[in-house]
Amino acid sequence: MEYDSLQVQDVLVPVDGSPAGFDALALACTLAKRRKGTVYAVYVIEVARNLALDAELAPEARHGEEVLTKSEDVAAELDYKVEGEILQARDAGHAIVDEAIERAVSAVVMGVDYETPLGEFDLGNTALYVIKHAPCQLVLLRAAARE
Amino acid sequence: MYIIVIGAGKVGYYLAKELLAEGENEVLVIEKDGAKCERIAEELGDIVLRGDGCEAATMSLAGFGRADMVIAVTGDDEDNLVSCQVAKVKFNVPRTVARINNPKNEEIFRRLGIDATISATAAILAHIEQELPTHPLIPLLTLRMGLEIVGLKIPPTAAVVGKRVGELMLPQQSLIALIIDSRGSPNAPTGQTVIQAEDEVVAVTRTENEGALRAALTAPSTSEPFGAAASGQ
Repeated sequence: MEYDSLQVQDVLVPVDGSPAGFDALALACTLAKRRKGTVYAVYVIEVARNLALDAELAPEARHGEEVLTKSEDVAAELDYKVEGEILQARDAGHAIVDEAIERAVSAVVMGVDYETPLGEFDLGNTALYVIKHAPCQLVLLRAAARE
Repeated sequence: MYIIVIGAGKVGYYLAKELLAEGENEVLVIEKDGAKCERIAEELGDIVLRGDGCEAATMSLAGFGRADMVIAVTGDDEDNLVSCQVAKVKFNVPRTVARINNPKNEEIFRRLGIDATISATAAILAHIEQELPTHPLIPLLTLRMGLEIVGLKIPPTAAVVGKRVGELMLPQQSLIALIIDSRGSPNAPTGQTVIQAEDEVVAVTRTENEGALRAALTAPSTSEPFGAAASGQ
């Protein structure tokens, strides 16, 4: 059997400022580098329904900028570049999938924290939605379980 | 325009779909049932909120405060009434529309300030009544402030046949807005327009004057002319 190894070119990475997100970004850079693909780092601001979708959310936007700046630093350490973007959406999962479709990326690389809100690991709605609806390959990088 | 639809049954689903297709609307559907929410999210995108559209907390979360219109189309008249009334009173939503399943509730909705009501039952009844000579007056549209648009066909035996519109003794706050003749030509009537047998008349009247209007336009020529109670304009 001939095995064609994972061929990833352009990659979308959702970043939220968590270590798992930056780990995913580093992995995405490593994968994309082999074929000189583009890495898109997206930070999604979830806008509450009581606000218009295009409402100005300065503190959130500022945090997004900081996360994207750090994303660029992470990529630079790997001698690579990322294209950062801040999106405003009602739901992060939908926004990530829509962005993956629009940019026609070959993979989404997503980091998730090891969260146990009710004593058991919970993947979270965003990751679940992306797993279910992303049209491209999806690499999910879960953070190490905490003792 | 931000439009909130309460209820994701078939009516809510297709309504949301059409409103989205218009392209300029921001639409949110509120639904209690998780499976229906998933279906909407799968097919129409991120426009659904799972929750009870009668609860003020859900309403706040949904952004009723900035909604331009709330349309309650659940299968339950009471829920539709509560949603629209709270939207109107607490959140000052400019326009509320409620689906009514039991036509008898229409008056209650109107009295409680719901801007517009839609009753599928009443609409079907109107179509049935159109075919029945025993029901010559058909409610076409409920307007605000207790007014409605009605349609009726002038029977050949009616006393008004051959009379000018200006001569008619119509009930208070009633007026003839349109006459469609037997060939199907619509005419805006003047005081000189002569009523013909088989004319279809579209009139605006108060709900409580429906019966008087029907009597004024359909009473046979052998009967007494329409009485004093219905003679004021």
